[in-house]
Amino acid sequence: MPGARHSRFASSHDVELCGFAATGERRAFGELVRRHGSAVRGVLRRMGAQGAEADDVAQDAFLTAFERIAEFRGEGTFAAWVKKIAARIYLRRLQRDRRLSSMTAEAIEDEPEVPRGDADANIDLEEALKALSEAERLCVSMCFGAGLSHTEAAEALNLPLGTVKSHVKRGLEKLRTRLAPDDGVVLEGRRGNG
Amino acid sequence: MAELEFERRLERLFAESPELADAGAFAERVERRLNAGWTARRWLIGAAGVVGGVIGASQLMMSGLFQRVETAGDSARFLSTSLNHLSTTTDWITAVSSGGAVVWVAAGLAVIMMGFVLTRVIGEI
Repeated sequence: MPGARHSRFASSHDVELCGFAATGERRAFGELVRRHGSAVRGVLRRMGAQGAEADDVAQDAFLTAFERIAEFRGEGTFAAWVKKIAARIYLRRLQRDRRLSSMTAEAIEDEPEVPRGDADANIDLEEALKALSEAERLCVSMCFGAGLSHTEAAEALNLPLGTVKSHVKRGLEKLRTRLAPDDGVVLEGRRGNG
Repeated sequence: MAELEFERRLERLFAESPELADAGAFAERVERRLNAGWTARRWLIGAAGVVGGVIGASQLMMSGLFQRVETAGDSARFLSTSLNHLSTTTDWITAVSSGGAVVWVAAGLAVIMMGFVLTRVIGEI
């Protein structure tokens, strides 16, 4: 009975679903996509991918994850694992289309003026990220959104580690001035482990 | 310290990705692509199995194996005749080795086996 099987998956933990998916159970993997699809697409959008492109890359990332599900050992969360895959696929696509070099080069010469914003204003992350150059946005999103280390990001971007660190540092400074102080809201428990 | 707190906060903000309105449709698209890939793979494995079976059968035919099996059958017949002199309990050897049916049964089993093995190997790959 497909419906019953679906509801069983809905109450399963991510790790269990990965186990089912590893045996070729595609509906279990579909449940994982349902849970974490938005998060993966969100990271890609924050890295600078436009809507349709972000969706394409996210789809490719999930398909790759399904192919390589046996490699997922459950050391981190499933969502974090797929986000890393998605970030790398997106970078490869940028490299293939020769957009990456222009993005990173632009950041070095072009330093946009960042107005010292009102720190009390409740600006969300999306808005705050717009103040960053493309390279800063890419580096910050890769390190804080996709969970890559500075070294991993430098390797993926084919940039010196110091350059990535300075992009991240400058990006963080800009974000700090634009984001409202933490209101101490603690995230509510999310379903799954992602 | 404040820097570290800010970095943690930023990680939290990044993790707080809102559920997109078309999350269900997106998941369905991914599932459709998964299923399409799976169907294509099944066809490919099946076709490879058939092709492998045909190639295996033709190789068996070409290699003169049947002649060798028939020779072996003759030897078995000769042996069974000889053994008949010794004991009547060897009647089954004569029954099995008589006629060319055993050759075709063996060939059929070989083809099925080759197809099965090839399918499994491709499946594993």
